[in-house]
Amino acid sequence: MSAASPAADRSGDAIHLENIVKRFDGALALSGASLRVRRGTVHGLVGQNGAGKSTLIKLLAGLHQPDEGRIEIDGQVYEKLTPHRVEELGIHFIHQDRLLVPTFTVGEALFLGREPRIAGTPFLDRRLMQRRAGEILNDYFGVRLPNSALISELSTAEKQIVQITRALLDQPKILVFDEPTAALVRREADILFRLIRRLRDEGVTIIYISHYLNEIEELCDHVTVLRNGEDVATLPLGETSAAAIARLMVARDIAEMFPKRSVTPGKDILTIDQLSSRGKYHDISLTLRRGEVLGLTGLLGSGAKDLIRTLFGLETATSGQIEIDGKPVRSVNPAQAVDQHLALVPEDRRGNGVALDLSVTENITLSSLKRFTRLGFLDFKSERQEADDLIRRLEVKTSGRNALVRTLSGGNQQKVAIAKWLSRHSEVYLLDEPTVGVDIGSKVEIYNLIGDLAARGAGIIVLSSDLAELIGITDRILVLFRGNIVHEFVSSQTSPDEVLAASTGSSETLRHVG
Amino acid sequence: MTLQTSSIGTPTLPRLLLGTVVDNALVLALVTVFAAFSIATPTFPTLANLQSILVNNFTLLAIVAIAMTFAVSVGGIDLSVGTAVDFASFAFVSLVLAGQPVAIAALAGLGAGAAVGAFNAVLISGIGISPFLATLGTLFIGRSIQQLLTNGGNPVYLPPSGAPEAFRFLGRGAIAGIPVPLVIAAVIVAGATLILTRARFGRVALAIGIQPSVARYSGITARAHVAVAFILVGLIAAVAGLILSATVTVYIPSSGNAFLLNAIGATFIGTTLSRLGRPNIPGTILGVLLLGIVANGLLLTGLNFYWQQVGTGLLIFAVLALSFINRRKATA
Repeated sequence: MSAASPAADRSGDAIHLENIVKRFDGALALSGASLRVRRGTVHGLVGQNGAGKSTLIKLLAGLHQPDEGRIEIDGQVYEKLTPHRVEELGIHFIHQDRLLVPTFTVGEALFLGREPRIAGTPFLDRRLMQRRAGEILNDYFGVRLPNSALISELSTAEKQIVQITRALLDQPKILVFDEPTAALVRREADILFRLIRRLRDEGVTIIYISHYLNEIEELCDHVTVLRNGEDVATLPLGETSAAAIARLMVARDIAEMFPKRSVTPGKDILTIDQLSSRGKYHDISLTLRRGEVLGLTGLLGSGAKDLIRTLFGLETATSGQIEIDGKPVRSVNPAQAVDQHLALVPEDRRGNGVALDLSVTENITLSSLKRFTRLGFLDFKSERQEADDLIRRLEVKTSGRNALVRTLSGGNQQKVAIAKWLSRHSEVYLLDEPTVGVDIGSKVEIYNLIGDLAARGAGIIVLSSDLAELIGITDRILVLFRGNIVHEFVSSQTSPDEVLAASTGSSETLRHVG
Repeated sequence: MTLQTSSIGTPTLPRLLLGTVVDNALVLALVTVFAAFSIATPTFPTLANLQSILVNNFTLLAIVAIAMTFAVSVGGIDLSVGTAVDFASFAFVSLVLAGQPVAIAALAGLGAGAAVGAFNAVLISGIGISPFLATLGTLFIGRSIQQLLTNGGNPVYLPPSGAPEAFRFLGRGAIAGIPVPLVIAAVIVAGATLILTRARFGRVALAIGIQPSVARYSGITARAHVAVAFILVGLIAAVAGLILSATVTVYIPSSGNAFLLNAIGATFIGTTLSRLGRPNIPGTILGVLLLGIVANGLLLTGLNFYWQQVGTGLLIFAVLALSFINRRKATA
């Protein structure tokens, strides 16, 4: 813009992370990842869940320290970054829905920790706060937000504006956007993109993390693709496409892990007819048959997760119908869903899937206690037997049935979460990211278990953002995008990049769907 | 030097000792406090005094603390246990005074306590108010109701000679030489232990208390179980109310609140020092004994009465310190 702006200075790197290695409890989160961002550019960062994006960003924020590797910011090498140092360096992070206290006012949130004082007094200079915030809001966004409005009253887009404004008050050198558009409508996203371009023109360096590859294509100057804790490529956007990026993101070497299944699907077990939930998903119709494993995928905000939650009675639909075995169901709470033989293995395993401070046995029989009750009292012997049977059948590695689930590894905790529903004799399994945070060995065991369940006549819906996995273990895949089913794939006849392209709403596939 | 050659994995003697201490922290604390007072005051370990501890410092508090343990087991707390004690006591004494049979009056008393619990259940499970605030409200409302019913807080006396035989038996009688209140407390201890460790209700209650979201995601209707737990709290506290009024043959408005803090203290001492950190009846009972012995012992040492609560406070700090070691050991 103006001649005085540092826009001219595009030489050199704002950030240069080199061969970063980071382990958590022995597990390798980053295995030699590099990221080189040129000053004054918009740099995309993409990768599947677990590829190492968030670890890399947390390193940059000073929240984690690398085990190996080199960090260089603005040509200066740093032994380690701390959140304080990061702030001094002018690096700011915009997260989708973090960092804002809902009961604060806009003014308090904007100036938290650096409130201007009336000179020589301990009192806040409210007038100055109001003026400075107003200037930035008006200049960059063309909006007016009263400083006295409560954060909890704002829309998601407005909250994000407050976050960005808070960063701009500090005149940042580097801004990191983490999935900023996941909860925004297109018009709001456009405003954000204009802002990002303007900031870049003013010389700010931007890192932009998104699952939406079309946005990366539209906005970024360069993109770095992470896979399995490494950077597999850094490309200028002029020379690549969303489809090419998608191919780079997907690993193919684990395809052999998936069990070969040959199940002929039986009768319909679950039918969903024109199910809608306002603002979440619209007119969803699908049929699940006994012995079938149906994949469901979609980005954050696609409605896939809400659909699963509705089936299990955690949310209610505004219209439409659900039938199990031909009988209409109306689950208004999970207890009713469980009675209809539905089972949910939730994504947040440690929060909702298993009780960490209950024993393996207590977790396994939690949903099926009625079967082990005589006149209100527990029949410990048959309960123990059930636990031992399932521990053996699922090969749960534990020091014993009385061990607290807290002491088990992630994969074995997940087996316990599934065992709970086997004990309940559930018939429709809703598996939400069933292998997230699970080691490779347990993953394969869980895949086999899913195949087993299907072979016994259960109907299974798997929700996963690991597309190679989804293709490997399912028969069909439905792709949701912004609340609609936009594509159906036969798993044996598709590829991860095809599914990914569909779920990111990239233009190519949308044309294909019509 | 030889000490350090012990291989990894084999616990050293100090480590083993520490483990034993921590696992049996409550029992050891009890023995230590008991021994200390026995040395300090010769009258402490006499049979007469020990009996007096059981009758005066143990029975009623034990029953109220067990009631509290059920509230804590579902992840809540009940600040209105004293209200249930008082309502039961008021109904009981008033009906006996009016000439009703003792059995009828006792049932009405239990009903009054359960009604207090049911009121809490509606607030907590029906409306969704947090247990702390709901029962705090009940505590205040209950206090007002009692003042309104008694012309501003006048006690309701039963003439000692006029009290029916069954009434006096409940308070001062004995079965095979054991005071009746103690027998009743023992029955409640046994019943509550059975419910909490062996009944399906107890298992589900603990699951709700430990991780409510998992209980919900497992298809458990937490609200119903929480409601039952709070009604149970009122019912059990009511038993203490009956015994209290039968012992002193009088109903004194809002006297039940005296148990509140000690009941909370005993329950959390028992919970904190248990191996798994779960609310449990044996732990609660040991907590009650510990509090009772400290109170009685301090009194016997001739220490100013007003120092007693300092003793209770220090005891709770000691428990916290022990549980801290416990946690360190668990994570080591």
